[in-house]
Amino acid sequence: MSAIPLTGLLRRNLNSIIPITAFIVLILGLRTINPYFLATRDSVVTLVLDMSWFLIAATGLTLVILMGSFDFSVPNIVKLSAIICGVFYEYLGFGVIPLALLISLIFGLINGLLLARFNIPSFMATLATGIIAEGIAQLISGGYIRVIVDQNFIALATATIPPGIGLPAIFYWAIALWAIGIFITLGTPFGRKIYAIGSNIEGARLAGVKLVKTRMLVFMLCALYAGIAGILYASQLQGSHMHIGTLDTLPLFASIVVGGTALSGGIGGVHRTLLGVLIIKWLDSGMSMVALDLNFRMVTFGAIALIMTILTIDRRRVKIIR
Amino acid sequence: MPSTLPLLEAKNISKTFNGVVRALDNVSIKVHEKEIVSVVGENGAGKSTLMKILVGVYPPDSGELYYRGVKVPFPKNPLESLQRGISIVYQEKGVIPHLKVYQYLFFGLEDYFIKFGRLDLGRIFDLTKSIFEELRINVDINKYMFELPLSTRKLVEIARAILCVRCVAGERANSSDFNPIIILDEPTAPLSIEERNELLAHLAEMKKNASFIFVSHIIPEVIAYSDRVYVLRDGKVIATHDLREEKVDEETLFREIVGREISRYLIPHTVLKEELEKRHVVLSVRNLTKKGHYTNITFDLRKGECLGIFGPAGSGKSEIAKSIYGIISPDSGEILFHGKPMKLKEDPGSRLSRGIGYFSGETGKELFLYWPIRKNLSIINFEKVSRGPFKAILSLTAERSLAEKLMRKLRIKAASPEVECYSLSGGNKQKVSVAKWFEKMPEILVLEDPTMGIDVGSREEIYEVLLDMKKNGMSMILVSDDPKEYILLCDRVLYIIGGVQQGIYTIEEFKEMIEK
Amino acid sequence: MSGKTTKSFTVRSSLLASVPRLVRANPIIWAIIAMIIAFSAIEGEAFLSTRNFISILRGFAVTSALALGPTFVVLTGRLDLSYVGIWMFSNTLAWLLFPYMGYYSLLICPVFGTFIGFLNGVIHAKLKAPAFISTLSVTAVLAFLTTIIRNMLGQISLTVPPPEFAQNWPIPFLPLSFLLALPAITLAIFVMFFTKLGTYFCAIGSDEEAVTHMGVSKERYLILAFTISGMLTGLGSIAIFVHLGWQAKVLFDLDDVVRGLAAIVLGGTPLSGGMGGPQRTLLGALAYVLIFNGLFLLPGIDPNQLKLYIGAMLFIAVIATSKGLKGIIMT
Repeated sequence: MSAIPLTGLLRRNLNSIIPITAFIVLILGLRTINPYFLATRDSVVTLVLDMSWFLIAATGLTLVILMGSFDFSVPNIVKLSAIICGVFYEYLGFGVIPLALLISLIFGLINGLLLARFNIPSFMATLATGIIAEGIAQLISGGYIRVIVDQNFIALATATIPPGIGLPAIFYWAIALWAIGIFITLGTPFGRKIYAIGSNIEGARLAGVKLVKTRMLVFMLCALYAGIAGILYASQLQGSHMHIGTLDTLPLFASIVVGGTALSGGIGGVHRTLLGVLIIKWLDSGMSMVALDLNFRMVTFGAIALIMTILTIDRRRVKIIR
Repeated sequence: MPSTLPLLEAKNISKTFNGVVRALDNVSIKVHEKEIVSVVGENGAGKSTLMKILVGVYPPDSGELYYRGVKVPFPKNPLESLQRGISIVYQEKGVIPHLKVYQYLFFGLEDYFIKFGRLDLGRIFDLTKSIFEELRINVDINKYMFELPLSTRKLVEIARAILCVRCVAGERANSSDFNPIIILDEPTAPLSIEERNELLAHLAEMKKNASFIFVSHIIPEVIAYSDRVYVLRDGKVIATHDLREEKVDEETLFREIVGREISRYLIPHTVLKEELEKRHVVLSVRNLTKKGHYTNITFDLRKGECLGIFGPAGSGKSEIAKSIYGIISPDSGEILFHGKPMKLKEDPGSRLSRGIGYFSGETGKELFLYWPIRKNLSIINFEKVSRGPFKAILSLTAERSLAEKLMRKLRIKAASPEVECYSLSGGNKQKVSVAKWFEKMPEILVLEDPTMGIDVGSREEIYEVLLDMKKNGMSMILVSDDPKEYILLCDRVLYIIGGVQQGIYTIEEFKEMIEK
Repeated sequence: MSGKTTKSFTVRSSLLASVPRLVRANPIIWAIIAMIIAFSAIEGEAFLSTRNFISILRGFAVTSALALGPTFVVLTGRLDLSYVGIWMFSNTLAWLLFPYMGYYSLLICPVFGTFIGFLNGVIHAKLKAPAFISTLSVTAVLAFLTTIIRNMLGQISLTVPPPEFAQNWPIPFLPLSFLLALPAITLAIFVMFFTKLGTYFCAIGSDEEAVTHMGVSKERYLILAFTISGMLTGLGSIAIFVHLGWQAKVLFDLDDVVRGLAAIVLGGTPLSGGMGGPQRTLLGALAYVLIFNGLFLLPGIDPNQLKLYIGAMLFIAVIATSKGLKGIIMT
């Protein structure tokens, strides 16, 4: 029973109408405020650097949300991964990359285990593991900022492709990982199983989907994406510090739901997350253009997350509201 | 000796849903003071509709109600029926596990016990103790409901039903001729044999405090403990017996419940006993036990055979079927697949990879209702629609052609494979469900209520498909509430009551058992 | 005793029948006693001093103020993360109204809290949004609005001059902030044990289908749970206002969110609901404060490890108390 009185057709496609409308409104609005928006190469590069790592993290998180679960540890894994790169680069060089990825996978494994084997609700389990990840980050960094000077590492994210006139490498990383995400979710049986779990978890079980294995794999994938995002962030930043990813939880969720993926699972997908990320990041740019500070942005993201959640939640299926 | 004027009499109750389904047709029943009246019948016979009308969940289309000979209107809501003195204990979801006994007992009734803005716990405790004393129920009122054994829980539920009536009736409850009527909907279904006898014996004692309408499937209990019985079939009262005056045996009641049309069914598909014995054993179950549900179940399933597990509700047949597919796990025993033992605690995914499938008539659970038909068909058939290395790539064209092929074969009426399943009719939904198994063709298919709630035409078509699969070598295990289904599909039937295997019969023997 | 549906429980409870039921039901009490003994032994005077005692009481007051409200929502099986937002914004409102109402402006806190709580309840029960996301969003909006207001007004902090009696606090051993938390604590206990609401909230957390079956409106009591949560948080936030030096907090800190949750989880109220309550949260708050108070006084403790300890502690507490029940598959 929907509390919002809209006609049937409109309601069913709300998932798509809202993001596309927002997108158009934003382009027009931002161009009006600042005619240089997206008109110069510099402004495009700035945007790309802002949203690429975010898109990678959001793609991974989308996988978890499609299953109807949550992962609050993603921003903290990004932070930990970046900090591992920053702190250990002088000892391990490029070896920090496999280390950071391994640690991320381990967190994903733990998240998946807590949910699938121990039956702990994912929002709680990941809140706890997220705090542990942050704690480890605090411990190994001592709160200090680290700088990486090795140009090879920095080039990972910032090398311009094509050289001189193109976009930073991180853009291609992000698009590639996003495309891989789309392939996994829409083009493989594994992806179909993800949607199955999100749509009807009991039916998925009856249809032979191995819940424990699949869910653990998805959490590990999500953590892996977060880890990659962290590594590339450190490369782009040329270092690491303890404020990476702080306060990004809400924008991440906001960008996924504003794209049209419902928190109840089974609806939407990775393909929508790009649009959602664009909208959120442009909104962010727009707000800073009119000199609205961080606080306004958080308030806006909070409001967006709330409104989109209410609008997209699949009320037909929500019998036990949690 | 009960007084001759009935406490409650309902005459000529009829109820039709949606203008089509006639749930009740001129049903009349009477309840006297201090007696236990049973209402028996198959699923869909109209029992629960009748009870819901009596407690005011919905009104009848026609009929009259008399209370001690005086005509009264039907209750418009459950509160009104409580005021009359009628209360109901539902089969499921009537207990709140984390409440303490005294909290549960008074749940919903606290407003009667507020003193100076706070709960009068003293009075609540006193009343709790006194009602348990009165009903001779021995329980620690400080325990949590989940700590109590199941039969005690039911007793507490019954005590609560009586309490509700008394609270709502208020002062009238104190008069000597106040006699509540408590409706019990399948109270013994989840209980083990010992627990059932405990509960029912108690019930017999509680007759002096209340009258009971006992809705049940379980014939031996009905005969042992009721004073009178009504048999409902297809919405009509087809028989009524006074067990204090006539001796009725189980087979008579069984026959009345089930009806006599079975012999009209043809059985061209049964495999003869001699032929069956020549075939390879695909599944062996030895001494399978699950505490509280079934004990020492033993049978062999051969290739191309359909074995039915038959018994009344709560007999454990459903749990056995679910155990074979891994939905729940047995505690002990052995399950051998082609002679090799399987792990008892395996998830459905693993069973499916071995070649065991499960089809449930509950389309709400089985199907992904908001998915198009083709996705529902491919969910267990990924091998058939994926390409490339490691079979990792889903081919939409392959999916679509598979869906079209199956929709043709099973005559599923829908515009295209893209149609979402929730919009299909009940019968078509069922066909989609069956179609995916038809494509999968597992070695063994466990069927639970395969034709639940669908029209006769679709039912026939589904039987055809199942029998086709059987001819192609698929073995089946059938669990259902409809004896006719067993006769049509099965070669042998395992009869189970109260979790205990009574015997395995051939289909002829089974037919005789039902018809007599 | 966090909701295991096993029949063998009857046997176990008779074995332990000799231990007073209260202690048995709340294992955190052992942890508290153990910590007091351990810290006293290791730190001696530093721990057992009057100053430390007052410090513990103040920490206890603040933690309880944050955690008591959401406890009622947790009983129903949902999560209410709006407490930080309610506290920060209601304090800001009190500061804004101070020039007109004097110290009575503090009364706006419970009023505002009730209002937000009610809103949360409606959003969850009627619009069916998952509680933790909606309350998290609400907290984000409220908390950051606080900072915006401060920035717009060009203030550095939102302080109010403390009254006479507070500046020269006459009562030894009992700080004012602790006393100001007592109304919230009393009200919470009253609602839990002396009204039917405690039972109803546990019932919803235990089996909400059964609750509707039995004719009780699940929606109505859910909204009530959120409303009470907001009201208690608002009421308790007065104590926090005083504790911080008669000012509103203007910078959002995730640690405050964690503090509230930790007290609930440590106290032993399972996040799946059905059992527990504010009485347990009070114990959890005490345990939380003791842990950090004691750790802080330990010689040679590395402050960088603190965050890890919070995480590990929450982790263990979550696993111990959050295990899903009744064979329902969690997401």
